[in-house]
Amino acid sequence: MFCREQVAQLRDAQHEIRERGAELVIVGNGAPHFARAFREDFALDGPLLVDPELRAYRSAGLRRGRVEIFSPRVAWNGLRAIRSGARQQAVQGDPWQLGGVFVIRPDGKLTFAHRSREAGDHAPVADVLAALAPDAPPVEETVAAPRAQVWLGRALGALVDPFIVNSFDRTGFRIHALRFDPNDLDVDLGGRRCLVTGANSGIGFETARALADLGAEVVLLCRNRERGEEAVARIRAETGNARVSLEVLDVSKLADVRAVGARLAASRVDVLVHNAGVLPDARTETDDGLETTFATHVVGPFLMTKLLRKRLEESPDGRVIWVSSGGMYTRALNLTDPNWKKRAYDGVVAYAETKRAQVVLSELWARELAGTSVVVNAMHPGWADTPAVASSLPLFHRITKAILRTPAEGADTVVWLAASPKARETGRFWFDREARRTHFVPFTRNSEREARDLWKLCEKRARSGGKTPDARRRKVAR
Amino acid sequence: MPIAKQLSSMELCDADGAACRLGAFWGERPVVLVFVRQFG
Repeated sequence: MFCREQVAQLRDAQHEIRERGAELVIVGNGAPHFARAFREDFALDGPLLVDPELRAYRSAGLRRGRVEIFSPRVAWNGLRAIRSGARQQAVQGDPWQLGGVFVIRPDGKLTFAHRSREAGDHAPVADVLAALAPDAPPVEETVAAPRAQVWLGRALGALVDPFIVNSFDRTGFRIHALRFDPNDLDVDLGGRRCLVTGANSGIGFETARALADLGAEVVLLCRNRERGEEAVARIRAETGNARVSLEVLDVSKLADVRAVGARLAASRVDVLVHNAGVLPDARTETDDGLETTFATHVVGPFLMTKLLRKRLEESPDGRVIWVSSGGMYTRALNLTDPNWKKRAYDGVVAYAETKRAQVVLSELWARELAGTSVVVNAMHPGWADTPAVASSLPLFHRITKAILRTPAEGADTVVWLAASPKARETGRFWFDREARRTHFVPFTRNSEREARDLWKLCEKRARSGGKTPDARRRKVAR
Repeated sequence: MPIAKQLSSMELCDADGAACRLGAFWGERPVVLVFVRQFG
């Protein structure tokens, strides 16, 4: 009834809205067939969108909850709506969600914002029309998550976190997101240069797009030139940021890492995101004699960090982020056979072991760079629906598809670690913007000596790898 | 983050199921963006 009253008021003002050069765009949270009936009821001829997952509602900071719906003012608002001719229909959407109205100019400035405090709390149409005046001043945009929502997010998070499925999946993200501070990413990254490996799809793409959207110069480091160029074009078009470029790089090839690293080090580097990942079915070996997963997740990123270290230290706010995986909880660091020469190959185990190694390396780099401006952190994105998961783990993807996070949800903590002023701790392991433990079971723990041995192994491999491929071939021939 | 930025790259479906990027609506002209409680 209330939403019908608000829409009727704005539809009646549509002529005046269009006279001011603006368009009325309506978003509802029910299914598309509800929207079609709604469009017919109101004879709407403008855009009518559906957001059944409430993503836009949450991003706009709109309230949701029983307290708001059953506020004492609601009865009064109901009488007013009935007097105006609105009638209650069957609920067609989320009954606990409240609405709101925003006026957004082409430059992205907001000149009007009304978030309903209870059902029937509508935006005055006269105020909406006034906000369409060319000289209407922008409104303050700071939005704080309601305290009750943050509390609820923490309480529900504590309940679901022990159960991996309900924490790593999209429900887990939505529960954890209740406690996110919407102002954390209210930042301008203009002047900062961010590098993202594996950025042509999935979490890497979403990370690159979000950083570009925040104004950073972003370099996508991708294996495939064509797909990389497509990603660059898409990010430029969607963000309006022209400072997005591509470097073709296979991070498993240490010669490539050296060449590209030298080029990238020619100018400033503020953020380095180690996101590129592989999960091969069978053991393959790089030109440097490394098992491909070990080279891609561990040695290549280690070498890249070394090559860019000086530039990162020159940044006033340097950040290195290792995109690990929740799979690392299942495995310990393996230094006896990291290249899978003595074991029957298992791609999933190789993946988990190298993701564990990333977490250890992240802690070691944090110590190495302590006292500089650079913070180093690892994170895991939960279970996200990315092309890599679909192609590498088809069965898992098929079974869990309905509950997987979106790639943007998977990338959220990467972006937060890369951009938020709050993310200045170092050497931690993060999930959904919160530092987490790195072990659930004792057998995955490693000693300090093993950690040091991993560093030495990476040093050794990075020192020899990719430098003299011809010499290496000669050695093999001998 | 400003709301327009947060919403800009978000894709929603229209009533006929076609995907629409929200930011495209205010790329060239102002919009009155209305979130209704529900469709009932």
